[in-house]
Amino acid sequence: MKMAALCSEFGDLVQIKKQLISVISLCKERGLLHSAKWASELAFALDRLPKDELPPSPPFTEDDAQDLDALTLAKSYFDLKEYDRAAYFLKGCCSQKAYFLYMYSRYLSGEKKKDDETVDSLGPLEKGQVRNEALRELRVELSKKHIAGELDGFTLYLYGVVLRKLDLLKEAVEVFVEAIHSLPLHWGAWLELSNLVTNIEMLKSLSLPDCWIKDFFMAHMYTELQMIKEALQKYQNLIEAGFSKSTYIISQIAVAYHNIRDIDQALALFNELREQDPYRIDNMDTFSNLLYVKSMKPELSYLAHNLVEIDKYRVETCCVIGNYYSLRSQHEKAALYFQRALKLNPRCLGAWTLMGHEYMEMKNTSAAIQAYRHAIEVNKRDYRAWYGLGQTYEILKMPFYCLYYYRKAHQLRPNDSRMLVALGESYEKLSQQVEAKKCYWRAYSVGDVEKMALLKLAKLHEQLNESDDAAQCYMLYIQDIFSCGEQLEHAEVSTALRYLGQYYFKNKLYDEASLCAQRCCDYNDAREEGKALLRQISQVRDQIETPSADLFAPLSNNNTPVRRVSPLNLISFTP
Amino acid sequence: MMTNGVVHANVFGIKDWVTPYKISVLALLYDMTATKITLPERRRLNKLILPLQQGPDLTLGQFLKTVEECCPQAAYAVKLRLHEMADGELKDMEYFFSTLPTPFTAFDSEAYKTSVVGLFMRHMLLAYNKLSFSQVYKLYKSLQHYYHSHYAKPADGQDTVGDRMDKEELDGPLHESELRGPLSQKQAEYFLARQAYLLKNDENKALKPAALQEELNNMLKFNPDFAEAHYLNYLNSMRVQDIFLSAHSLLHYFDRLILSGNEGKSNGDEGYGRSLRYAALNLASLHCRFGHYQQADLALQEAIRIAQESNDHVCLQHCLSWLYTLEQMRGSDSTVLTEDSVKMAAHFCLPYLASLGIQSLVQQGATQGKTAHKLMDALKDTDILHWKHSLSELIEISLAQTTSIWRMYGKSTMALQQAQLLLNMSSLEPVNFGVQQNNTEAFAVALCHLAELHAEQGLYSAVSEILLHLKEQFPPHSQHAKLWMLCDLKIQFERHMNEGKYHLAEPLVTAISALNKTEGLYRKAQVLKALNRSTEAYSILQRLQAHCEKTKCTEVVIRVMLSTAELHWESSGFSTALPLLLQALALARQHHLQSLASESILHLAFTQLMLGVPEQALSVLHEAIEPVLAHGSVMDKGRALLLTARCQMAVAGFRPNGHGRAGTNLHLAVLAVDTLKEATAYFSKLSCKERLRDVHFLQAQLHHALGQTSQRNKSAMLFRLLDQELQSPAPPVSMRL
Repeated sequence: MKMAALCSEFGDLVQIKKQLISVISLCKERGLLHSAKWASELAFALDRLPKDELPPSPPFTEDDAQDLDALTLAKSYFDLKEYDRAAYFLKGCCSQKAYFLYMYSRYLSGEKKKDDETVDSLGPLEKGQVRNEALRELRVELSKKHIAGELDGFTLYLYGVVLRKLDLLKEAVEVFVEAIHSLPLHWGAWLELSNLVTNIEMLKSLSLPDCWIKDFFMAHMYTELQMIKEALQKYQNLIEAGFSKSTYIISQIAVAYHNIRDIDQALALFNELREQDPYRIDNMDTFSNLLYVKSMKPELSYLAHNLVEIDKYRVETCCVIGNYYSLRSQHEKAALYFQRALKLNPRCLGAWTLMGHEYMEMKNTSAAIQAYRHAIEVNKRDYRAWYGLGQTYEILKMPFYCLYYYRKAHQLRPNDSRMLVALGESYEKLSQQVEAKKCYWRAYSVGDVEKMALLKLAKLHEQLNESDDAAQCYMLYIQDIFSCGEQLEHAEVSTALRYLGQYYFKNKLYDEASLCAQRCCDYNDAREEGKALLRQISQVRDQIETPSADLFAPLSNNNTPVRRVSPLNLISFTP
Repeated sequence: MMTNGVVHANVFGIKDWVTPYKISVLALLYDMTATKITLPERRRLNKLILPLQQGPDLTLGQFLKTVEECCPQAAYAVKLRLHEMADGELKDMEYFFSTLPTPFTAFDSEAYKTSVVGLFMRHMLLAYNKLSFSQVYKLYKSLQHYYHSHYAKPADGQDTVGDRMDKEELDGPLHESELRGPLSQKQAEYFLARQAYLLKNDENKALKPAALQEELNNMLKFNPDFAEAHYLNYLNSMRVQDIFLSAHSLLHYFDRLILSGNEGKSNGDEGYGRSLRYAALNLASLHCRFGHYQQADLALQEAIRIAQESNDHVCLQHCLSWLYTLEQMRGSDSTVLTEDSVKMAAHFCLPYLASLGIQSLVQQGATQGKTAHKLMDALKDTDILHWKHSLSELIEISLAQTTSIWRMYGKSTMALQQAQLLLNMSSLEPVNFGVQQNNTEAFAVALCHLAELHAEQGLYSAVSEILLHLKEQFPPHSQHAKLWMLCDLKIQFERHMNEGKYHLAEPLVTAISALNKTEGLYRKAQVLKALNRSTEAYSILQRLQAHCEKTKCTEVVIRVMLSTAELHWESSGFSTALPLLLQALALARQHHLQSLASESILHLAFTQLMLGVPEQALSVLHEAIEPVLAHGSVMDKGRALLLTARCQMAVAGFRPNGHGRAGTNLHLAVLAVDTLKEATAYFSKLSCKERLRDVHFLQAQLHHALGQTSQRNKSAMLFRLLDQELQSPAPPVSMRL
């Protein structure tokens, strides 16, 4: 096709801009609003073209001229959501554009009727049965044309959508790939395809056109598949290539940072986004999640009020308000707003999970379980819901039962330390120390967010009388805590220092022991013990120094265990 | 509607609603009250009403066909009425509903408000009256579609064949589910109850696993809140041994149940906590079924802890009985636990658990050599309890257990009788859906015993029939299938061994060890012994003995001892075999294992014969011959008689090498001839040619000594024929029993 030929090298921003401008008009003519929006946003981020550089409008064929009146009429009906009427006047038109609009109106008409009928279907069980009746007819007609090879990029996209709605996923993937090949600039087709790709192997097996838009798709896919590092790299490349002003990319990067819980980065990006695009509502629920995690009440309150002013009947707005109330510990109201979000869009994923969290706060475990289950029904891969279910059962004191749920969550997020720590805790409660140790160690290895895994591991070793391992873990813990720089509320440095002091003392490493003991004195809860240890050390030193100093050196060499912990250098980290 | 803040899918609380199919049923009911139908036809129709009301929606074709079989006249009337409505206008349907006899007014008709029909009509009228304008119109449209789709089919031959074909082809996967339509809540409940009942009682009559799964997926798609469907899903996945899906469904079920449990009880916390406890318990049983004993243990401990915290003694009792079952499955001694469980269950008046515990105790007692009368007493006492509370399941178990115990003691007649009793007993359970429960473990056990008992008597055609039945009743994927698989293999193995086809028996060993390791090892040793690979056999037997003494498998220990003694014979170590045999005899007597005891005596007598004290052997034999003839297998009988004859010959003065001094004791020689004749009958029944050859050889000798030339020649000829057939050189007259 013509468009495929236009796909040139990535670097040429002017070319890209030209392509975008032409595809915007194509999408608009066909009523594909979201794709037009995406392309327009991207085009806006690029530099303005001089007047003579603007791409010419596509050539006007004989078919187009013939259908012009009918098409104009139908398009205006279509814009007013009178789909059946539009379809009626388009019947018999022969141009590709008219044909697409004709089929698309029929499809949308079916969808609209389906939504209307869900409200008063004949019975509750029939709800799932309500179907877009037009789908099957559309499929028959489109498949005939498809076999004949008469479909253009847009109609192929529509055919793919129809197939997907009919749950014929394999065929749908093939058709979407075909649609992308014939019209690579149509973002809607890429987006539909991304919903059907379930794993990285499948992604690799797809043969995609080599176009600059593919990079956007890959970055989007990596984010979906939780391969955040790769996604960020892709987005960074795109920014460097000249898309630095694109709000789309900024929001995507912010979401990616949110997914790996790099909160500060994400917050900064969202703030930037709001400066550039103050009336934006998309992705604001993610922003509110971040504010919530950081307990930034005033900012969250401002955001909530601002969004209500823009549009209070948006799912995102309701989620933001829910978060706002939740942060103010008004959990009933929070649950109410999440419910409202669900009424606006029952397939809204986050709201079910968040509502579950609210019920958990209200100690209404059974309702929480229901909410989480609903979330899982909407999306089986929602790890937060699985994790929430695990937590619920943990609260109900069923550590074995919750293992299943934590395991599920862990499967979905193999590199998230929180699931691993939760798994470890459950195993510890079941006195399966070996498994617990493995979990904690793994949690530390994948990068512990809450800095708790090492402490727990150390305590476990302490319980099992594996003092060398325990000391090593405490040491790593202290280094970890001080290296991250910020103050953590639950930090138990004093516990670690106390244990290390005793450990060195037992192994007759008095210098290190006294260092630890001195450090202990910095903390209120360990001060007395630190002082006592210092006294003991000085006593023992007095005793040793009386016989001979020479004796001490060989003794200490022989008596220390083989896996001796290297002496602690605390001077560089001051608490 | 919201409960506990969660939105329910079932907004109006309607359990049933009007569908085109329901309208046809209504039309049928209406016509039944209105028109005159002959009595037999009316009876047939009456029998049809309930299934029609409860079952899933049928297509018009199916519906009319069912009705036509009972009463063509009624079917025609229904068709006419539907035609009126479908080919008319919306008002015709409205008219139909308005003319239906209202159950509140019709006092003397069958449609009075409290009757089954009346209730159904009331449901339908109520549902119809609740419909909104657009819903009524939609119902009418679907009625038209329902009616016309029935008539369109046969007529579509002419118009645009290609087009239609194309469409049909494309619609292939959609067609089936679309025709039937979704189930209403009532229909779904009925469907689930029926399938669950069938799964429990007679799996073969339930839907196939894949079909059932599809049905359930469909149901869950329409109503994900239908918790029971998840449970059935769990049962179905258990059927095909799918641990992932079954664990998933089980947990899902309980997650869903927690809310409904809350709803049902007035004191919310109690119902809710209860399902939590049973959730953990069910998880334990799931892991137990899949053999994950450690996981099961952890889950069980959790259930116990929660039950203890909330003082739920009944649940605790259930946990306790699972605990001892688990211990038993792991192979450790759980007698104390079981006894505790029985005491507690009796205290809390839980007869089912109490007698289940007693049965488990009896089982343990039997293997540990408790005296027979104690075991039988205990079983008898529980039986009284069972009949009192009509616990039919436990009665079955009890009978199966008695069968097993009698077999273990070697009383085949009693075992046979008990097995027959169980199989001929009519169950106390009510018969639902035309299915009687006969797929419990008890039935499988009894049938396996029956098969083995028949095999012992050489009735192999009967055996294959029994096994065929078992295969049908317990398909290979089901829980108790391993029982008959092992039984089948064992019978085949014995048969091949008896017939001397060792090469056929050898491959069976691997199959047996897959099902039961100990049994497999023992059989392997037997094959090796038969193939004269004595050293290997010996080392296996040694290992097996050590293992079984640890696990207290007395039966196997004795059998291993006997086999070891046989190995000693082969190296002519008769005197070394003696202490082993005596030990085996003592063990067998101590545990009341009569068949094994007589087997030991036979071995002992043979050893004595070989050691040259035939008189002693003969007197020992007298002790064993009676029980063997009464209860033993055909093979045992033959062997015992052959041995007797040989002893008699030895006493009479024949040398083992065959050169007898004729005429020393004619009387005994004549006796030996008779004994041998009897033995021939037994061996030929099993076509045990090697032994027959021995018998004929001895017969020829005897006849020679007695001077009966013609008989001698006949025996000699038979011997020669067999010898040629067998090819393998005859061992020096039978160094074996």
